[in-house]
Amino acid sequence: MKIMPDNDATLADWRGRALELEHEIGKVVLGQERAVRLVTIAVFARGHVLLEGDVGVGKTTLLQAMARAIGGAFARIEGTIDLMPADLVYDARIGEDGRPRVDPGPLLRHGKELTVFFFNEINRARPQLHSMLLRVMSEGSVAAFGREFQFPYLQVFADRNRVEREETFELPAAARDRFFMEVQVTTPQDDRLRRSLIFDPRFHDTVSLVREVREAVVDHTALGSIAKTIQHSIHASDAIEAYTTRLWDAVRFPERNGISVEGVAMDRLVKGGASPRGMSYLVRAARVRAWLEGRDMVVPEDLRAVFPEVMAHRIFFDAVYELRRDTIAASLCRAAFESVPAP
Amino acid sequence: MTDMWVPPRLSASVALLLAANGVQAEGEVTLHTPRGFGYFIGDSFAHEAIIELDPAASLDPASLPRPGPLTYWLELTDSTLEDLGADAMARRYRLRLRYQTFYAPLEPRMLATPGLSLAVLDGDRRSSVQVPGWSFLMSPLREIVSTRAGASLALRPDVTRGAHDLTMAHRVAAASAVVASAALLALAWVRGWGFGRRHRPFAAAAREVARRLAATQGPEGYLASLLVLHRAFDVAAGRRLLADDVASFLDSRPGLRGIARETSEFFEASRQAFFGAGAEPASAVLSRRDLAAFARRLAKLERAGA
Repeated sequence: MKIMPDNDATLADWRGRALELEHEIGKVVLGQERAVRLVTIAVFARGHVLLEGDVGVGKTTLLQAMARAIGGAFARIEGTIDLMPADLVYDARIGEDGRPRVDPGPLLRHGKELTVFFFNEINRARPQLHSMLLRVMSEGSVAAFGREFQFPYLQVFADRNRVEREETFELPAAARDRFFMEVQVTTPQDDRLRRSLIFDPRFHDTVSLVREVREAVVDHTALGSIAKTIQHSIHASDAIEAYTTRLWDAVRFPERNGISVEGVAMDRLVKGGASPRGMSYLVRAARVRAWLEGRDMVVPEDLRAVFPEVMAHRIFFDAVYELRRDTIAASLCRAAFESVPAP
Repeated sequence: MTDMWVPPRLSASVALLLAANGVQAEGEVTLHTPRGFGYFIGDSFAHEAIIELDPAASLDPASLPRPGPLTYWLELTDSTLEDLGADAMARRYRLRLRYQTFYAPLEPRMLATPGLSLAVLDGDRRSSVQVPGWSFLMSPLREIVSTRAGASLALRPDVTRGAHDLTMAHRVAAASAVVASAALLALAWVRGWGFGRRHRPFAAAAREVARRLAATQGPEGYLASLLVLHRAFDVAAGRRLLADDVASFLDSRPGLRGIARETSEFFEASRQAFFGAGAEPASAVLSRRDLAAFARRLAKLERAGA
């Protein structure tokens, strides 16, 4: 599709704002440029994000800063083993007059203004909650008080720490597939950054730290339409389509494509996944990345930049290899890009 | 058994005046011969005659005896003449003769080889030199009348084969095989057989690009050439090389840094051609001529060891 001139101006204008958004987040979250970039891509692709990482690496701060910079309402809930769907939707309590009251819960409190819903420690919640969340994520709606609530601007962020395994519920494959990205947040490696994170009192109080972020850098109600414009305006050529299809084939059937990962029997590694939905998410993310890089075309580098986060959690391995998922998935993605010829 | 060389036993100095022929024989012949006894039917023996002539004289090769039967029992199997050169005193020849005897004596018997007469040329003068004959004792192989029962001419059993110890030979063969394969590996490493590192992807790519660009004038040849160079870059990098990786690739191949600008242009053109607006705008970035030149340049740098 040809880019319309007014579209062009809008896109350039919005790109400036997106970079500003990144810059604002970067002020309070140090050494997470890649995670910030990926979350920004998710924001402009209107996709839900699952953050993963150790405790205390700044996942929550990143999301709070992002929510503040996007503007709109922000709600948050902590996953626990006894949390039930009703707790998200309803707030049941005894009112001031001593009578029981049922008010809208954290999900409904802000109505359709809800922009960022942050689900902390999602793997501590029960499968019932996962399935409700699935509906919220895919349809943007929830039924309560006998009617349908719509969330047109909603973006769900969830996080999960991999430290504990007791009293946790692994997310079902369908739920993981609904997440646009799974972003790993790691401790920064740069020594200077690490020192300032430890010693600079600015980083000790995250509440006041997040307040440093300018509010509503972008207009959250316009995100949906700009996301559509990006998807329609960034050009994907026949060559990139063919390349993407070959990549898909390479991760789905690595043994046929001569890909090998050390210590892994390639013919039984991949059991399923890499769904067509996943591939469409990949192209969505790649288009946004191309736009952020100031290009009007998708190139293989765009796919490579978002591939592990968008695709790795959608590929399901043989049970023997699931425990080593992180390293194997990373090697598989890298091997796919090293073996599929581009263009 | 008759090859064993025996120091001169018979030395004949011939300096005779052959007045009867009216030809003066000149020169001196020393004949080296083997032992004069213990020969049986079928044995062969060698003579060596050193012939000294006047410095100006030479032997006439035509007068040399031809190998062949000399008598019904004696055969000359080989005769070679070697010119030992001349000095102020004399000109020397070495004549090697090999005989085989087929005489079947019933009792030990003295036999003789005939003497030889060789022609000597000295300017217009023609003379001859005599190689003396030689006598030797031959013995029978069997008794005249059998003293044993049965046929006197019955064949004797063959000599039984001895078992040779081959351990050493096997060891030597194994060691040679090891040395040979090590040498082959070393050669392969030097020549780059089967070693990706020394393979020359850009050389092949440059030829292919020239061929493709010459084959078609349209965008197909241009696109195909871009692809050929992409594959060469992939081989050189050992992985698929994307435009964003060019800087790190050039860091690992310092020899190619001189063409960093052209390389970026190439990747930019390829990006336009395949993912952007097509071959037309791409050739504005990198023309067909520049593309061919770039391929040749890469091949040249590669040859130079970059």
